[in-house]
Amino acid sequence: MSLTYILQQILNALSLGSMLALLAVGYTMIYGVLGLINFAHGEVFMIGAFTATFVLSLLGAPLWIAIILAVVASVLAGLLLERFCYRPVRGSGDITLFITSLAASIGIRSLFILIYGSRSRPFPTPEYLQGIHFFGDILVTDLNLIIFIFTAILTIILSLIIKNTDLGIAMRGVSYNKTTAEAMGINSNSIIVATFIIGSALAAIAGVAWGLQYGNVRPSMGYLPGISGFIAAVLGGIGNITGAAISGFILGVGQVLFVAFLPSTFSGFRPLFVWLILFIILFIKPTGLFRTNIKWE
Amino acid sequence: MNTNTNTNNVNTNKSILENRKIMSIGGILVLGLILLFLENNLSGYYHRLVLLFGINVILTLSLNITNGYAGIFSLGHGGLMLAGGYATALVTLPVSFKASALNLPHWLETMQLPFLPAMLIAGITATIIGFTILLPAFRLKGHYFILGSLGINVIMINIAENVRAITNGATGLRGAPPYTNIWWIFAIVVILVYLMWTLMTSKYGRAVQAIGKDEGLAQALGVNLSKYKAFAFMFSSFFTGVGGALWTHLILTISPSSFDLLVVFQIVMMMVVGGVASITGSILGAAIITAMLEILQPIQEGMVLFGFKLPQMFGLSQVLLALFLILIMIYKPDGLMGEKEFSLKHLRFLSGNNRE
Repeated sequence: MSLTYILQQILNALSLGSMLALLAVGYTMIYGVLGLINFAHGEVFMIGAFTATFVLSLLGAPLWIAIILAVVASVLAGLLLERFCYRPVRGSGDITLFITSLAASIGIRSLFILIYGSRSRPFPTPEYLQGIHFFGDILVTDLNLIIFIFTAILTIILSLIIKNTDLGIAMRGVSYNKTTAEAMGINSNSIIVATFIIGSALAAIAGVAWGLQYGNVRPSMGYLPGISGFIAAVLGGIGNITGAAISGFILGVGQVLFVAFLPSTFSGFRPLFVWLILFIILFIKPTGLFRTNIKWE
Repeated sequence: MNTNTNTNNVNTNKSILENRKIMSIGGILVLGLILLFLENNLSGYYHRLVLLFGINVILTLSLNITNGYAGIFSLGHGGLMLAGGYATALVTLPVSFKASALNLPHWLETMQLPFLPAMLIAGITATIIGFTILLPAFRLKGHYFILGSLGINVIMINIAENVRAITNGATGLRGAPPYTNIWWIFAIVVILVYLMWTLMTSKYGRAVQAIGKDEGLAQALGVNLSKYKAFAFMFSSFFTGVGGALWTHLILTISPSSFDLLVVFQIVMMMVVGGVASITGSILGAAIITAMLEILQPIQEGMVLFGFKLPQMFGLSQVLLALFLILIMIYKPDGLMGEKEFSLKHLRFLSGNNRE
């Protein structure tokens, strides 16, 4: 178990960590303003990946157009979800909210299975992204680095927005205390819509990154990454953008290292890793690793 | 028949209607006669449908104990069904299969039990798993508990896929003996309904319901939260495991994907549609959703309608069920029955003798 090996594994895990980070940021923002586990967030992620696949393979358009259209499709999906599923049940109990989002998630996934079948479709990765480099014994793929840098830049910009702009301050206000924020003249509806737009756009980018990295998309692809994303959000302290992003990386890298360090007979247990971490964290420090922005009862 | 005689009948029977004991015994006798009739007169397909309905009633009722009455919303019941199903399969499968496909300790490999002890073992296994894994999860609240319980589901499926020596991996266990029949299923339904009915009006049940209504208030009134939550959860786990066992001996195979999130989702739907915290509601919900699934099944697999060949549409029933559930959540979040029970008193209006 040399240092090179460990470094190599960490590098390999960077893109997975980035995707989980992007998903976690979306989860944490939506949970922050609505108090809702948006179970359908994984499906918004899947819709982004599917849109990019179609734009790339059917229209033959360049990647940046695919990314923009994927973001548009996911944002649209997020807005429809917010308007027609979550807004009517807003203010009901936790369980009602959760059942609604679970139903939305299963409904969207089944709709895609109904239309496109449940099998994977190939995702056409452009050739200029497939380059590899060697640094000594360590192999670095361009894609891995690009996804990581892109995610890091997005997260930093987003956390600056949340920290400094009026919109960001309003968002934090609504997630801390909705009633007081409304009393201060903030329209909580438009803040919630804005949150859904940002969260869904990030999910779309994660979806495109997933397609680029793993080369295929399928309707049920959003389930496990979605849950891992939420776990990362819990880990990072709900409402804390940077915390969520860092936890996303920790989970992604941790998953890969978990498999790398254990004998290969245990590789099937990889999904257990995230749950193990979740339980340990929730028992020791239920508010997550980092400071939260939510008022805890 | 004219209304006059109808009214007279009800009036003379009023004293009998009030008498619970006679009504219950009569009800069980009527149910027995209906079952005897169904068993002898239904074709294979409809017979199987009745069996599925019965199992769904058991699963929905046991889910309702935790998710409805006690207000602990668990998605982990799929994992408990899986535990029950595997437990019963392991003690009833043919010895030759176990010797060739699995790598079990000798006592388990040669074990061949009849249905009743196998079912009890399934229930006890599920209870133990529910107790050991989910009890720590009671420290979590609200959304976090839901997430944790979903984790139990994922973990159990993962274990079933990967511990090949016991579970035969993703292919699962095949060839469980076909023990399940209409009598076993509805005997357990009757026992479960009886237990729930008496327990929910006893001290234990009222404590559980108080927790479901308002946890903080219940605690302030001196209800021991962890004791009664554990009680509700173990009661629920036991019958969920039994339901999983009945299911296994009906379908005859069990694999890790037998009870995934979709199955749990369907049972949650049955519970929510029928009515949270209502026994008759759960039975009604199980009937509605079982019927909907069966009606949608042929459409899903592609059917010929008025000379047009419809294409296969896998996923259609899930889409429609999900839509249905979202509408229920928006317009009637407590389900059709809410927390009420259907009783014969509701039939009084038929006689025009509405006594409140």
